[in-house]
Amino acid sequence: MPEWIIVILRSFILILFLFSLVKWLGTKQLSQLNIFETIAGIVLGGIAAVHTMDPETNFFYAILAMFIWFIVPFGIEKLSLKSKRVRDFTEGKTTIFIQDGKIMEENLKKEGYSTDELMEKLRDKNIFLASDVEFAVLEPTGTLNVLPKKENRPLTAKDLGLTIAPDKEPQTIIMDGNMMLESLANASLNPDWLRTELEKQDVALENVFLGQVDDQGQLYLDLYDDHLAVAEASQSALLLATIKKCQADLEIFALASDNQNSKEIYQTCSKNMDQVQSILEPYLK
Amino acid sequence: MTVGTQVKSCYASIKSIEGALESLHETTRNPSLQTAIEDANKLVAQVKNAMHHQVIELMKKEPQFKS
Repeated sequence: MPEWIIVILRSFILILFLFSLVKWLGTKQLSQLNIFETIAGIVLGGIAAVHTMDPETNFFYAILAMFIWFIVPFGIEKLSLKSKRVRDFTEGKTTIFIQDGKIMEENLKKEGYSTDELMEKLRDKNIFLASDVEFAVLEPTGTLNVLPKKENRPLTAKDLGLTIAPDKEPQTIIMDGNMMLESLANASLNPDWLRTELEKQDVALENVFLGQVDDQGQLYLDLYDDHLAVAEASQSALLLATIKKCQADLEIFALASDNQNSKEIYQTCSKNMDQVQSILEPYLK
Repeated sequence: MTVGTQVKSCYASIKSIEGALESLHETTRNPSLQTAIEDANKLVAQVKNAMHHQVIELMKKEPQFKS
C-alpha cells in the first residue's frame, strides 16, 4: 500500500476517534476547562498530529495513548463531581479579595495580583471606586466576581415593592418563511391558528423572516420586505383600556343616577371593575 | 345619546371584555395568568348580570328608544 493512502486512512480514523473522545468529554467551553483538561486536550491533539504525519509509527500505540490521555481526565472529572475534596484539588479554590468592603492584601499577594490588576478587574465590572464593593472573589477560572454594596446595586422591582406578573419564554414559530411545528406545539398552538393570525395581518408566510409568539399568544413578525408596515400587537393594551373605560362609565352612571337602588348597583359594579383592573394590570401592561 | 343607550353601550363593552378575557385564557401558556383571568371573569360576570337587569329596567322606562 502506498504511504499516502496510509496517511489518508490514518487521518480519517484519528479525526473520527478524536471527535468522539471530545464529544464524550463534554461540552465545556475552553475557558472553563481546568489546567488538567487543557493539558489533556493539547496532548490528544499532539498524538493525533504525530501519528497522521508519520506512517512508520505503530498505529495501535496512537490509539492506546490517546485512550489513556482521555480516560484519566474523564475519570477525574467524574470523581470530582462526587467529592468536594477532589474538586478543590483539581479545580482550585476561590480566593476572597474584598470582604466587608476591605481589600485582603495577603490574598492579593498570594494570587500574584497587583493593585493595578485588581482595579482593572473591578473596572471590568463597571466599578471605579473600590469602596463601592462589599465583597469580591477570584474564581479558580481567573474571573473576579463582585458584589457591590446594597446601595450601588441596580434597582429591582423587589426593592420598589412592585408586583410583577411571572411570564413564560416566547417561542420562535416562524424562521425564514417556514413554520416551526415543534415550537408551535410548545406554545400549545396549531398551524391553523398561525394561518388565521397571518391572514388577519394580511401577510404571506413566505414573506416572514422571523415570527415569535409571547406567552399571551400575541404574534410578533419581521418581514423580508421592510417597506411593509406590520401592525404592532396591541390586544392586551386594548383590553386594559376597555376595562378602564367601563369602570369610568359605571362611575359616571353612579353619580348621574337619581334612583338610590340603581346608584348602589352601579357603585358595586364600578368597584368590581376596579378589582378586575388591579388583578389583570400586571399581566397586560 | 339617552341614558339608556349609554348604559347599553357599556353593557356591550363589558361583554366584549368577557370575550377578550376568554380568548386570552385559551391562547396563553402562562398558568398564573389563567388563574388571574378566572378570578377576573367571575367579577366581570357579576357586573354583566347586574348591567343586564339595568338595561331591562331602563328599557321599561324609555320604551320610545327600544331597539
